Amino acid sequence: MAISGPKLLNQLKLLIVIGIMILIAQRIGYGIGILQAIPGMILVIVISLFALVIRALLPKVQMPAFAWASLTALILSMPFMPTAEVFLRFTDEVNFLGTTAPILAFAGISVGDKIQKLKSLSWKVVIVAIAVFCGTFFGSAIIAHIILTLQGII
Amino acid sequence: MSEERTMSEEQLIDPKGRIPVFLRLTLTVLGISMISEVIGIQRIPTGIATIVLLPMLYAVVIGILITPDVLGKPIKALRKLISDDEIKLAGPMVMLALLPLGVKYGTLVGPNIVRVVQAGPAFLLQELGNLGTIFLALPLALLLGLKREAVGATVSICREPTLGVIGERYGISSAEGTGILGTYLIGTVFGTVFFSILATTSVATGLHPLALAMASGMGSGSMMTAASGALAATVPEFGDQILAFAATSNMLTGVTGLYMVVLVGLPLVNFLYRILEPVLGRSGGTREVKDGN
Repeated sequence: MAISGPKLLNQLKLLIVIGIMILIAQRIGYGIGILQAIPGMILVIVISLFALVIRALLPKVQMPAFAWASLTALILSMPFMPTAEVFLRFTDEVNFLGTTAPILAFAGISVGDKIQKLKSLSWKVVIVAIAVFCGTFFGSAIIAHIILTLQGII
Repeated sequence: MSEERTMSEEQLIDPKGRIPVFLRLTLTVLGISMISEVIGIQRIPTGIATIVLLPMLYAVVIGILITPDVLGKPIKALRKLISDDEIKLAGPMVMLALLPLGVKYGTLVGPNIVRVVQAGPAFLLQELGNLGTIFLALPLALLLGLKREAVGATVSICREPTLGVIGERYGISSAEGTGILGTYLIGTVFGTVFFSILATTSVATGLHPLALAMASGMGSGSMMTAASGALAATVPEFGDQILAFAATSNMLTGVTGLYMVVLVGLPLVNFLYRILEPVLGRSGGTREVKDGN
């Protein structure tokens, strides 16, 4: 997949719309002034767009744009990076929880055409989900218990 | 489940001639986000644990409620606001809206990278325990008759990063996407309640509280907080250590979780699916394996 200019432009426009939503949501939820958060939001949008470009340029690498966005921000914010101080000062104005409400509102609406399907699986999904939750919790706990015992920590 | 996708993602996000659809969807989502933030973080103390409700929880519930098959059925005006076009557009919008969260994840991990590297073998190896979802839940899901939905539902604990991976690999409207949304939604709605109770009762298993503390860091801040808070209250003599171990483990899962899903979890769940489905699977559902794009 090569880079499509029109597609990227549309993605940028929508990222800006999403950015404005987050600015409004976090103003209400966490009292962060809209103007003071704009530079940080611009940085966040630039990195998001960068992630989309990398994803489009490297289709063979099985990493979603989301992971590229995280990895880019991680590298920029490592303590020994000269970018860290400035980067974190600006992006601190974008609230972690503030970014989540629009995602989940879109996600909620996007399952709208599957409500019937979900209803048909519902009790199975609930049972599978409980098994998933128990699986990750006890899977990690058992391994941690064994390694901590071997290390002599517990 | 594999209904025809008449429009590609590229066409869906092109606003040309579809401005009203974009306006209805984005303004609705803005309204939902604003209402959710006005309600704010709510803490409900019960006998066993304090139940913490976050704005994202209200957002997903309101989002589902206003769709045509739920409240859209009795309330005709809602169907004018949210119908098929808006629902179809919401899928690619989720993927874009996830990107700022991805950036925020990076900024939470970066400053702690030295601590993460120093965190030690127990922290690293217990990350493999997150694959317990596959070993425990995939056979169960197949026995219950799920097909490709089982791959999405059991590949991990199905938080936002995995949602991003599955969404990009299979499309959020695919069978795999439906599966992960099921686990994801149940986790979003009941996760904190479930884990606070599970963590309290798990002390009875004989597993060391510090091991249980590491297990509490699953890549979800709210679930980690619920689980480790309950655990610390149950075993107060380890209280501070439990919270420290849980937070570190959660940070590690933030770093490794995504790569664990992409590099280990997804290949493993697909491998086991191919072996187990003919043995345990029942008829019906979506059988074909879709390649990622």
